[in-house]
Amino acid sequence: MSKIMRHLAIFVLKAYQKFFTLFSYGSCRYYPTCSEYARWQILHNNGLIKACFYSLLRILRCNQLFAGGIDYPVVDKNFQTSSFAPYTPKLSVNIEFWFVPKTKKSFYVIKAFNQSQKGSP
Amino acid sequence: MIDKLSNQTRIIIATVLSFLFFATYDHYFIPKKNIVDTNQTKQTKVKQDISNKAPQISNDNTTATKAPAKPLKSQEEVILTVKAKRYELHIDRLGRISKFYLNEEKYKDENGERIQLIDNKLKLYPLEIRFADENVNTEAFAIPYVADKNMVEVKDKGVKVTLTQSLSGLKVIKNFTFYKDGNYDLDIKMSKPEKYFITPGFRPNIAVDSYTFHGALVKEADDTHTPIEEGDATGKERFIDAKVAAGADKYYTTALYNFDKGFDVIVSVVNEDSPLLFVKHTGDLKIHGYVGPKEYRVLHRIDPRLTDIIEYGFFTFISKPLFLLLSWLHSMFGNWGWSIVAMTLIIRLVLFPLTYKGMVSMNKLKELSPKIKELQAKYKGDSQKLNAHMMELYKKHGANPMGGCLPILMQIPVFFAIYRVLQNAIELKSAPWILWIHDLSVMDPYFVLPIAMGITMFLQQKITPSNITDPMQEKIMKYLPLIFTFFFVTFPAGLTLYWFTNNLFSISQQYYVNSLFAKKKEAEKATHNKAKK
Repeated sequence: MSKIMRHLAIFVLKAYQKFFTLFSYGSCRYYPTCSEYARWQILHNNGLIKACFYSLLRILRCNQLFAGGIDYPVVDKNFQTSSFAPYTPKLSVNIEFWFVPKTKKSFYVIKAFNQSQKGSP
Repeated sequence: MIDKLSNQTRIIIATVLSFLFFATYDHYFIPKKNIVDTNQTKQTKVKQDISNKAPQISNDNTTATKAPAKPLKSQEEVILTVKAKRYELHIDRLGRISKFYLNEEKYKDENGERIQLIDNKLKLYPLEIRFADENVNTEAFAIPYVADKNMVEVKDKGVKVTLTQSLSGLKVIKNFTFYKDGNYDLDIKMSKPEKYFITPGFRPNIAVDSYTFHGALVKEADDTHTPIEEGDATGKERFIDAKVAAGADKYYTTALYNFDKGFDVIVSVVNEDSPLLFVKHTGDLKIHGYVGPKEYRVLHRIDPRLTDIIEYGFFTFISKPLFLLLSWLHSMFGNWGWSIVAMTLIIRLVLFPLTYKGMVSMNKLKELSPKIKELQAKYKGDSQKLNAHMMELYKKHGANPMGGCLPILMQIPVFFAIYRVLQNAIELKSAPWILWIHDLSVMDPYFVLPIAMGITMFLQQKITPSNITDPMQEKIMKYLPLIFTFFFVTFPAGLTLYWFTNNLFSISQQYYVNSLFAKKKEAEKATHNKAKK
């Protein structure tokens, strides 16, 4: 059930990014944008409600009274018990997200820049 | 051949095609000038006969009663005519409101005829009583009512009329008090308690379009407002102790209400899922009714709580205060067009602190433009990286030109609310603005407002910063003003006027802030030069 909800939420966000951004002129003050932020939260945070809560806080912060700039989502993740263990990624695999530890249990989610693009330093 | 064309040509062809589509669509399918026309197309769908059965209730052990399938012609004979300044009402031999004419000039159709609100194709009229007992019901549809007056004139005071129906073993008395605003009190007395259903009638069928609400409305005991859209009725809905039962189209309504003592409402389904409301009751009943336009001022005068009949949809909680603001402005300016302009200005002033900050940062950023250009060249084609670096730059210099998601998301419900207000408000019907706009509730006949809207939208886009870097989106964005222009062509002039003035104000605001900055810079330069000397 929660998986379906997650997929639905991601789908809605993608649709928003494709079409509705046109009406809002792409006016987000942050990197990643609010919709991206919400997407990463939903992808990686444990609970959907938690993810939505943090995304809502982010949208509330996204106005002229806040500085904006770079603001990565922070998620709670427990790598010891997660499905991570039995799966050892090959190093040649393209890395999509980095989890940079903030505290012992919470991590910044940082999307890897596309390596195949030219012009990256 | 098509795939040889460049993208630009394709888009131009697409827009021309869509314009042609809108033009033909507009010509053939959208009712011209006056919405009254919808009658002709809509009403043909209404089934001719609906038997006068009392609605069936499954959890009740009453059997549905039958009556003559087609009422005799004589039943529709008028036994009472009520005349007032604003309306004329007819009551037929079965004690039902068979006709309701609006007398005011603005409610005349293009032939100069008065609008008649009771949908007569359904053979069911407001205040029709259907008894649960089959025998009583059959008799009730055969024996006519007798009125104590044939013609009354309503002035400032209410006028009382008594209608009596003498059945074998049951006497039904309908005591009416008619008022000048189109409302009436109805006091039903029965010689013995008999179970029956009385209807506020099927919704008026005058102004029906797909943009706005038409169907049935119930205000429940706990003041929840439950609209039942056409097509959504299941026939299983029950409301205990409801306060209002109304059928409504975009502009007009026929309602029964009693705010002091609630009544039970059931919903019956007619013609493919259209809701028809019945008040279920046994014995004596005191109830009030209203037939007429959903004009805020009038409804408020009858009973402030009655204004809830005006249905703005999901965002009613924003729409209603916005309408009140608009209506207050109208009392100041005396013109609905100027009131819309003033309302737009007020909304922009409320948002001013936010937009002003954004504009100031935009001006600060002008000094950074070489750096921004450098970044854009460096990360061409990698929008993700470019956005990240831009944001870093903005933060470093303490100036972020983006408006932010919150203001945008907040504006979406406000826009929808305004949209619904301007679509729904009967006050805008036949309300002129200036020059060629004679009716804010229909489209601009010369396309001036939509085109002006498109141009201002294009200009506004030019001066608004954006972080859209996807080339496809960028292209769509470029043509958005054009698409919107065609989209707005058929919209009511009032709505287009709102959108146009909103764009205009935001552009002028930008220029004002820019000039402020230019002056400030000049002043700085001057003092600098002086210091040098």
